Amino acid sequence: MLVRPTAEDFRVVGSNLGRLSILVGAAGAIPLLWAVIGREWAPASSFCLMIGVFLVLGSLARRIRVQRHRLDWSHGMVVVALAWLLVPILGAIPLALSGHYASYLDALFDAMSGLTTTGLTLVQDLDHLAPSLNFWRHLLHFLGGQGIIIAALSIFAGGGAVTLYLGEARDERILPSVRSTARFIWAAALVHLVAGVAVLTLVAWLVLGFGFYRSLFHGLMVFFAAFDTGGFSAQSTNLGYYHSMIFEFGASILMVAGAMSFGLHYTLWKKRYSTAMLNLETRTILITFGGTLAATILGLAATGQFTHSLGLARYSFFQVLSAHTGTGFGTVSVPELAGWSGLAFGGMTIAMALGGMGSSTAGGVKSLRIGITVRTIIAQIKQVLVPEGALVGRSYFQNAKTRLTPELSQAAMSVSLLYVAMYLLGAAVALAYGYGLREALFEAISAGANVGLSVGVTDPAMPALLKITYIAQMWLGRLEFVACFALFGFIWSTWRGK
Amino acid sequence: MRRLLFIASVMLLVPAYPAGAATDGVQVSVTDLIQDAAVIQGNVVVQGELIGDYGFRRDGSMWTQLNGDSYVYKPVLDGGPLTGGNVGVAVRIPEAIARTLDKPGGYRVRGPLVEIVGEWKYHDPHRGGESYIDVLTLEVLEPGRGLVEHPDYWILASGLILIAAAAALRRGSGRANR
Repeated sequence: MLVRPTAEDFRVVGSNLGRLSILVGAAGAIPLLWAVIGREWAPASSFCLMIGVFLVLGSLARRIRVQRHRLDWSHGMVVVALAWLLVPILGAIPLALSGHYASYLDALFDAMSGLTTTGLTLVQDLDHLAPSLNFWRHLLHFLGGQGIIIAALSIFAGGGAVTLYLGEARDERILPSVRSTARFIWAAALVHLVAGVAVLTLVAWLVLGFGFYRSLFHGLMVFFAAFDTGGFSAQSTNLGYYHSMIFEFGASILMVAGAMSFGLHYTLWKKRYSTAMLNLETRTILITFGGTLAATILGLAATGQFTHSLGLARYSFFQVLSAHTGTGFGTVSVPELAGWSGLAFGGMTIAMALGGMGSSTAGGVKSLRIGITVRTIIAQIKQVLVPEGALVGRSYFQNAKTRLTPELSQAAMSVSLLYVAMYLLGAAVALAYGYGLREALFEAISAGANVGLSVGVTDPAMPALLKITYIAQMWLGRLEFVACFALFGFIWSTWRGK
Repeated sequence: MRRLLFIASVMLLVPAYPAGAATDGVQVSVTDLIQDAAVIQGNVVVQGELIGDYGFRRDGSMWTQLNGDSYVYKPVLDGGPLTGGNVGVAVRIPEAIARTLDKPGGYRVRGPLVEIVGEWKYHDPHRGGESYIDVLTLEVLEPGRGLVEHPDYWILASGLILIAAAAALRRGSGRANR
């Protein structure tokens, strides 16, 4: 029997949502400050409005009196799912007021794309956009990539923090408490921020010859987009704008760091290198990256676009890395990427669908699930081949030897299947609007796996329903379904429960 | 009549820039360069706005972006209509020419509108496979100009009122809790 949520359930959800709303409103002060320093008064006004709306909603929700302060599992999941809707809806205010978006839906599309670290964009005339607004788009990557919930937990973790943490699709607790894990994640991000921005700024200043402040601006933007595997860019030609192998190399290192699980960051920080290499997750991603890269190189070589092996290797490597880590940076134009056919198209599409590691900023099915699924299939084949009654060992190594239980296999395979279903449903909507199968599939995977590469379907002129479909895919893909389903269940039981 | 039909059918079948055909000295748009990147060869004449940054490198060249969209003539901030994303290609300009240019386009700046003659290098093997225009000559058609921002003070006032209201609500709830 479905149990209808009580008024207290709503109050608990509302109160916690209010707390997050205040936190994000406070984060909005950073681009506001940027706008004021840059004397960008129009964006500054719109940031004021956004902050005001966040703070008023948050303050109103915080006035709700709750008796139970501890969140249970369903409350936590509902709060996370709603927070990931509320932030883009309100975060779109300055974007919509900029005049660079055809509608509020387009601005919401970009805000959701930013927060979910996808990188698909509907902005128009990006090259004339105010730097503070560009900064806000990229800051959304950082807030989403590091996790707004993680931020909240670091500051004011209360009862039920675990459910919030899990709701944001982070299933790996690195340190004993969620709060210390959240703090480690932020510490790791800040170390990368300082080092990454410094290196990128120096390269832009000393090698690319940009002015110092513009170098710092580009360093910061590329850091947010690379480390949070987002893919937005400060200029319309994306990472191809920089025309520099050294700059691409710097961005690549950050992309890899962003796609690594924070558990792996911790293992490497503790200098347990052999453990890191033995992990099923590491080995799986190395194999899938190698396979998709080989396919892309072979496919591109067959097209004859590159007459030199260095160019072929450089572009294949960067694009496959961008796809596999879920970053979505492009060094080739959209029409050129759309022209990649055969194995190159297959390699890129599969790399996007698979995604990075679990508990990272990357999207997609995730390598641990792929590894577990393959291990399960192999074990089942072995079971068929061995004599009846004989037992096949089912285990894998992930920081320690772990038993491959039927529950674990089922969970990994179920989520993998959900991703495949989401990719196909997204593609079906585009197909219904007359797009080709290749384009429809590529774009749906790009949205659902939070990648951000495009072959031209994502465009301000695309149908509104398709925009909504991609927004939903980005949301579902980023939260890995569970929190979203919990919200659907909450709504359903409110309506049909007793 | 048959001849006319034949010519018409050939015109329909043959793309604008047949593969391998020389397009030396032909006036092309930035959109052409992106759409038919592999087909266009040799020297091209292109018009557009220099935008983004001027990257002066140690080899005596300057790299920037040349845009050829509608925003070149009327950016969004200048009241230009929304016509989609930007359309731009990279250009490499000799430093001696680049030093004379107005600052590039960006927020509140419409960069210099130029006509360039240069060699289209598609996946240049000498540059690790990059595609760009290697500029030979450059003519400034229209100098760069500043764009005026129009802040909406109603938006600012609404925001400030909401922030003040939030502060009052917080103070009120603080008192209630005490």
